[in-house]
Amino acid sequence: MNKPINKPVAQTELEQAERRWRTAFDASPGAARRAANRSGIEVKPLYTPQDWSGERYLETLGYPGEFPHTRGIYPSMHRGRSWTQRQLIGLGVPEDYNARLKELLAHGASAVSLIPCNSVFRGYDADEVPEELLGTCGTVVNTVDDMTRALADIPIDRISCALNDPSPFTLLALVLAVAKRRGIAWTKITGTSNQSDCISHFVANHMFFRLALPGARRVLVDHIAFCNAQVPGWNPLSVVGQHMQQAGATPAEAMAFTLASAIQYAEDCQARGMDVDVFLPRFTFFFDISVSFFEEIAKFRAGRRIWAKIARERFGAKDPKAWRFKFHGQTSGVDLTRQQPLNNIARVAVQAMAGIFGGLQSLHTDSYDEVLSVPTAEAARIAVATQNVLREEAQLTDVIDPLGGSYYLEALTDQMQEKIESIVARIDAAGGMYRAVEQGLVQRMIGDSALAFQQRVERGEQTVVGVNAYQAEEDPDEYSVLEYPHRERIIAQIARLAEYKAQRANAAVARALDGLARAAQGSDNVMARVVEAAEAGATHGEICAVLRRELGFGQPLAVV
Amino acid sequence: MNAPVTLAERIRGGDRRALARAITAVENETGEAASIRTALAAHLGRAQVAGITGPPGAGKSTLVNALVKVLVGYGRRVAVIAVDPSSPVSGGAVLGDRVRMGEMQGHDAVFIRSLAARGHLGGLSRTAAQVIDVLDAAGFDDVLVETVGAGQSEVEVAKVAAHRLVVCPPGLGDHVQAIKAGILEIADAFVVNKADLPDAARTERELRAMLALRTGVAPGAQPPVLKTVATTGEGVAALADWLIARGRQAPPRAARGSPPASDAAALLERLFARDAFARHLGLELLEAGEGRAAVRMRVGPEHVNFWGSCHGGAIFSLADTALGLACNSHGSIAALIDSHMTFSVAVQAGEWLTARAEEVSRTRKLGVYRMEVRREDGVLVASLTGTVYRTGKPLPGEA
Amino acid sequence: MTEQRPPKVIVTKIGFDGHDRGSRVVAAYLRDAGMEVVYTPPWQEIAVVVKLATEEDADVIGVSSLATDHRLVPKLMAALRAAGLEDVQVIVGGIVPPKDERELLEAGVAGVFHPGASLAAIADAVRALTRKRRAQLEGST
Repeated sequence: MNKPINKPVAQTELEQAERRWRTAFDASPGAARRAANRSGIEVKPLYTPQDWSGERYLETLGYPGEFPHTRGIYPSMHRGRSWTQRQLIGLGVPEDYNARLKELLAHGASAVSLIPCNSVFRGYDADEVPEELLGTCGTVVNTVDDMTRALADIPIDRISCALNDPSPFTLLALVLAVAKRRGIAWTKITGTSNQSDCISHFVANHMFFRLALPGARRVLVDHIAFCNAQVPGWNPLSVVGQHMQQAGATPAEAMAFTLASAIQYAEDCQARGMDVDVFLPRFTFFFDISVSFFEEIAKFRAGRRIWAKIARERFGAKDPKAWRFKFHGQTSGVDLTRQQPLNNIARVAVQAMAGIFGGLQSLHTDSYDEVLSVPTAEAARIAVATQNVLREEAQLTDVIDPLGGSYYLEALTDQMQEKIESIVARIDAAGGMYRAVEQGLVQRMIGDSALAFQQRVERGEQTVVGVNAYQAEEDPDEYSVLEYPHRERIIAQIARLAEYKAQRANAAVARALDGLARAAQGSDNVMARVVEAAEAGATHGEICAVLRRELGFGQPLAVV
Repeated sequence: MNAPVTLAERIRGGDRRALARAITAVENETGEAASIRTALAAHLGRAQVAGITGPPGAGKSTLVNALVKVLVGYGRRVAVIAVDPSSPVSGGAVLGDRVRMGEMQGHDAVFIRSLAARGHLGGLSRTAAQVIDVLDAAGFDDVLVETVGAGQSEVEVAKVAAHRLVVCPPGLGDHVQAIKAGILEIADAFVVNKADLPDAARTERELRAMLALRTGVAPGAQPPVLKTVATTGEGVAALADWLIARGRQAPPRAARGSPPASDAAALLERLFARDAFARHLGLELLEAGEGRAAVRMRVGPEHVNFWGSCHGGAIFSLADTALGLACNSHGSIAALIDSHMTFSVAVQAGEWLTARAEEVSRTRKLGVYRMEVRREDGVLVASLTGTVYRTGKPLPGEA
Repeated sequence: MTEQRPPKVIVTKIGFDGHDRGSRVVAAYLRDAGMEVVYTPPWQEIAVVVKLATEEDADVIGVSSLATDHRLVPKLMAALRAAGLEDVQVIVGGIVPPKDERELLEAGVAGVFHPGASLAAIADAVRALTRKRRAQLEGST
């Protein structure tokens, strides 16, 4: 593709040089190899000013912090303030969590996150589920007391808190209850509801879909409205591309489905009469970062540019804060292997770099033993150290968007944008994300991509080191695996729950749960009632049970 | 190998494993299939069979779940057959219908079996009718058959089910036009599901308008258009009640309330079960004995000729099947050598025809039989007179 | 008697984990390999899986487990035995630590497949286990 170029070099001279190189290249070994990235975009051996000339810089790239934000959503980006090191933690009982949290904060992690136990995800208290499943992949938190112990000595008015809790967001309610007890104003609480994207749960089944989709949809808008008003520093929505990509969507598909979901949620808020300039600034995003290095960087830059346009033009937002594509990145666990697990440290470093160059706001790096079981303390330390090395030894925070202007990267960003926008258009044509998902369109696309990728691995077209190439004899017992939580601690936790229920003011709890049920039946803000119930002493399981009863149990729509 | 009689007792006694194994045999036509079918033949005729078909997105599975819930609530035992398409390339299938059904899957009074269509066109699998028989014989009150799609060719459900529901999503729009003649003919009722959505009222109107355009059907005889919201259960009890009421009026699946009256009857049941062509046409044995037989068929779109009425060959085959049974009832092979058929009345798709064969005379070597084919209202459609040659040779497998 | 009918396989998840990319890919692959697959979404009750296996006359049950849900598999094995389905073959796929793998095999699980296992190997195992189960059934009748 010939584009006019800046420098006053005669076209024919450039073309001649290109031809010379082409001839020499074609004569080299391996020249015939074709390459494509995971989104299906063909990748050439060389990119030149012919592919991207840098003209229209202000329009297509702009300066960091200025529309269309391609180079970053803030003027100073990581140079001014590093990305947040936000490691996901979740295991055992609240005391275990508190101890691990303090350890990580001491080692440089700068924000809190909490993954609750799978039983909590499913909406149950510890006394309602098989004991052997408790605390193995997340922390058991059911009550205000549990949350108090989990956050003991943690200054929640100064540290940002990411809660991996889907609708109806009881964990946030418990945090707010703890804040009130400590005399901390809710206006000081910052963080994100990390699993608020109910569409992604419905489609990619990754987290636990507690309420039927129509009810979850309404509770989400209630939640956004409540937080915008009462907890203005909180991001009530995190649109999660990670689930789609982990389920097998290509990077372009994952970004497209995420943007389409965000569009859908924004439309729902608008339909409720909410102001775009109030709710859009508190929309955040959450992405998987695969090991396909340049593709991921291009994906993020394209996403940023597309979202800025959508916010400003499609939704008419006037506040520049509303155009910002704030996102958290997590290195992709799907790329990690069980074979030769120490190799995962290298993979995570590459993934982290891609996220950093992609301009994320916060980053979680996986531990190398993620695929074996819940990470050991040592592996978790290495994951944090990886970020420290990148920041302070490789000095990746020194320059904003350092790869900007690369002929390859800018051309790829444009191509990714095109692909992403065409998929978003397809979702629009299907009537929006909810309709597309009900028809199974999104699930089918994801399933096809997942199968196609696996088949490429089986055929050897996609190399996975240690799995289909460079294999080695290994002793599977060699790597230490975290033991399951001590049974006594789980038993103690269950006992504490019983004690808690016996000692609280049960009449007040019953009243609050009634209020919650009535809100669900009517049009009162459900989130406000959830918070009231948590403050009155209701447990997580009790709150979920009421809403399941009123709004229906979530059944995923499985499409193979 | 289990003696079939013992198997029948186990199945009717509620042994779900034995039932499932019997279905496997019958579905796959294994060596045991014939004897299983024979053993169960005496117990047919109790179950109400309802077919549920419709385009994807109509919420069939959710509706089936809701309907099962109501029926079970009435104290009925319900079996569900879910038919899914097989991959034309690999022959494999993902049988995902049953899990979309939700909580009734785990209920004791419910039995669900998935069948892969295995390339069979028409909406069912080749042996679905036989599988239905097994469930009927096992003692279920209702057998619901959920089938693929609702395209023009997927009308086979009409042959196996006395009650045929076509489920439509609202906003059918173009799809209403796409519901081809075949589906209109077979539907006993239309169900507009997801009736809480705004398009539902319009879809109902469009369906009624389309039905009214059909010629040859009296206004009062049009199939009803029902509305349901399967996710909440709204309208589903009314649907169940309609089904049950209809069931009380319909003729039994195969008119037998007692075991075969004689050895001849038992013999003819076995022979009929082996007749591939009869099965292919969707014929049903009503009764049989020494020198007589009655066979029934419903005229489907595949029996129709180029000017839209039932193909004479189909009517002949119906009558000839009755003839074949009647003349072989004496235990040795008899074959038709000459026949004469007259046709009185043209027959449309959707009608039920019954052929009855009577022995007129019989010598050592020859027999003469007269067959009458009548419509459900008794009108004589065709008559066949045939002469058979009696070979005296034993019937294979019956020596 | 040799039967040509395809293997009947249940692909399911018990317990709490909701990650089902693996089970969906396996189900699609087995379909493309000519098998009849009853695919369930996650969070199935053990009693329902047993009912499923009974009604569908399944040859093999494939349990996908990524969190620690494999710890429930021995309960599934016991439930199958109690229902008279000891002939049904069970395989487990997903994240299973080596110690737990040994325990599962001792509990009667026919095979454990780890991340990185080839789909072709899983399909071969299903075919072999199907043959084994059907031969067993014929021998005992």
